[in-house]
Amino acid sequence: MWDSFVQGIGLALSLSTLAMMAVGLFLGILVGSLPGFTTVMAMAVLLPISFFLEPLVGIPFLIGVYKGGIFGGSIPAILVSMPGTGASVATTFDGPALTRKKQSRKAMEMALYSSAIGDLSSDIITIIAIGPIALLAMQIGPPELAAVILVSLLIIAVTTSEDLLKGLLMMVFGMFLAMIGTDPLGGMSRFTFGAFELKSGIPLLPMLIGVYALPEILLATEQKVKTVGDNISRIGERLSMQELRRCLRTIFRSTGIGTVVGMIPGVGQVVAAFMGYAAAKSASDHPETFGKGELEGVAAAEAANNAVNGPTLVPLMTLGIPGDNVTAILLGAFVAQGLRPGPQLINDQGPLVFAILIAMVVANFLFLAIGYAVIPLFARIVTIRRALLLPLTVVLAFAGSYIYRSDPNDLIILVCFGAFGYIARKVRMDVTPMVMGFILGPILEYSFGQTMAMSKGDFFGFIISDRPISAAILLLAPALIYYLHSRTVSLRKEYVNQEEPSANEESSTHK
Amino acid sequence: MNSTQLLRFKSGLLCVSLLVASTVSLAQEYPQRPIIMAIPFGAGGSHDMNARIFTRVIPKYLDQPVIVKMMPGAAGQKGTSAVINAKADGYTLLFTDNYRDQLQKYIEYLPYDASEELVTVARVNYSPVCILVPADSPYHSLQELLNYAKSNPGMLSVAHSGNWGAQFVPLLRILLDAEAHMTFIPYKGGGPAKQALLAGDVDVGIAFPSVALPLVEAGIMRMLASAGDERLLANVPTLSELGFDDDLGLMQRVIMAPRNTPIEYIEILRSAFRKVNADEEYQRLMEQIGANTEYLDGEEYEQLRQLQSQRFEILVNNMSAENNSEE
Repeated sequence: MWDSFVQGIGLALSLSTLAMMAVGLFLGILVGSLPGFTTVMAMAVLLPISFFLEPLVGIPFLIGVYKGGIFGGSIPAILVSMPGTGASVATTFDGPALTRKKQSRKAMEMALYSSAIGDLSSDIITIIAIGPIALLAMQIGPPELAAVILVSLLIIAVTTSEDLLKGLLMMVFGMFLAMIGTDPLGGMSRFTFGAFELKSGIPLLPMLIGVYALPEILLATEQKVKTVGDNISRIGERLSMQELRRCLRTIFRSTGIGTVVGMIPGVGQVVAAFMGYAAAKSASDHPETFGKGELEGVAAAEAANNAVNGPTLVPLMTLGIPGDNVTAILLGAFVAQGLRPGPQLINDQGPLVFAILIAMVVANFLFLAIGYAVIPLFARIVTIRRALLLPLTVVLAFAGSYIYRSDPNDLIILVCFGAFGYIARKVRMDVTPMVMGFILGPILEYSFGQTMAMSKGDFFGFIISDRPISAAILLLAPALIYYLHSRTVSLRKEYVNQEEPSANEESSTHK
Repeated sequence: MNSTQLLRFKSGLLCVSLLVASTVSLAQEYPQRPIIMAIPFGAGGSHDMNARIFTRVIPKYLDQPVIVKMMPGAAGQKGTSAVINAKADGYTLLFTDNYRDQLQKYIEYLPYDASEELVTVARVNYSPVCILVPADSPYHSLQELLNYAKSNPGMLSVAHSGNWGAQFVPLLRILLDAEAHMTFIPYKGGGPAKQALLAGDVDVGIAFPSVALPLVEAGIMRMLASAGDERLLANVPTLSELGFDDDLGLMQRVIMAPRNTPIEYIEILRSAFRKVNADEEYQRLMEQIGANTEYLDGEEYEQLRQLQSQRFEILVNNMSAENNSEE
């Protein structure tokens, strides 16, 4: 093992590996930052390039695209509130608010640093603990996944919304929307009213752009008179060392959460970003600033969703099992390189496996440098006159929704969700529980259905006797949720007290 | 014939000859722009991989690129219907499999009939399924496994890649023939199904050779049978040797075009794919991903397609007859 590791270092640090990884990172950031283009699409398009490269050049190239793409996706989330995937939804809580405060450059730099730190730490943990992580990942089957998703949904409902009932209502509504289309287990159509267009369900991307970006545009046009003088601004201040240091605790907490969640195949980034954000808000001395342009909020979400990257690769490397679409494409690249991912890979090609993992670590340093260089380019976007930027954002919203599936019906869906999101804002309903219910609901349904099939009719007996991890998660959940709920409620009371002039300052130091 | 008539005749002749000339030149000049090929599945699957390879090679023989467009949704129906509704001008193709193409219509109502609306350009290759059990499993042959499943209905569980998919249908067929029952647990694709098998969540698994062979070589899994005409492993029998008609155990990867596409265009495409199949680079890359290159010409596949369609119909009818008798 150690010999392989040492050989791997030598292999990973070749010039061509580093150069192609840098190219991959740059392309990934570029493609990821275009609304409608996902990291998966970027990787699928660039996959054939890797066929003609050495394994140790081609695979790091794709890993570069992957890492770059995830960061790239947070750029439109920060600048125009347009999350490209579920993973960057949590970034829209504070990112656009920071952009409105003319701090978009700070926000992007914070996203860059926290992504890099989160990714780097999780990669190192992955290398050290590849064996235990592989064992743990094997223990996570449908029953465990169902339990984790159920608990995650409840945590999201409890922590994101101002009102628990409203949050749960929106979440159930999101879960219902996700049921439209083809039943994932049985393959039957439901809630489609016979419309063939609805059979493949409501697509995620038009919904995300609709509920997050379009209301922002509408609200911005409402205040146009007030901000008319602000047209020409500088590209914004840089992030100070002090601000970064203030967020380090949050970054490391999110990294821990992301690394653990990353071991669960399939749900990684979305759940991690939310848990990271919720934990940061809950641990903060000033939770009331979250959602109103808090740098720590961006750091929490970005560190967590990037910390998923390391552990996600473990099942692929050790067993040849892709946990999600991205790792499925990497699996394709492995196979095309003549490598056979599976239990033997680490024995037969130990140095190569370690070289790839080490290349992932090195990629983070390249990522910092490249990200640092491109952020000023993106930061200039806010200097575009609003009269031009807003229509441009509308164009991007429509183009992005269309590109995703090339289906004109998706534009109707975009507009409907835009209107829905705008109304929800006006009546103070938070759309995030709905989006999360929509993303996680089907995974819950699927894994629960599988669990029921596995249990052969005896659900409780099966969970308790065969699936202790799942049973433990379900038993511990009520206590955790009660704690989070009471904490959210008490913090809100405090916040309300503070708003009143007579409230005194010391209550804010209460933890 | 006076001069006016002559003029009319001449101009008429001119029109006709222009028309003929333009048709001829059209046929020669197809394709004039890139061709779009829709894949009705998600990115990263085996169709995606195969397509990336032949689209890499085909510009050599077609003078135009073929662009892959992933159109997943509604179990492949979204991409399929998009191609059916596209202009039949030779610039839109579909890369699909035999289950989406011929089986689906027997299970649910579809707003199209693929046999009527689509014509085969080429069968790129096929993948035979393998039946796997863990290495420490008590079953050493398919017959032992089926005997147990027959006397203990539903006690064995099997992981597959999705209902009515390439892993589900062959096993269903075998179980129906053997009058045995297992609990089918669907997973989202072959990867998660493989994990379930490795983790011991299920007793039986189905896989394609690129996944199955490394597991068997590593001594983790035991192969009980494989589909196809030839044995994949010297000591493992094929399904036909065991008395099961193995035709349904093959996933056929096929390229289709809308039925009204001009036949000259289809022929141009067919000849291009024939040349691709003979291409060295193509052969090498396909071998790397563990896919075979058993190319079949569009016309020949059309016959196989009809035969398969009938067998799928019988299978689905038997399945529902059995369900009804149980109720």
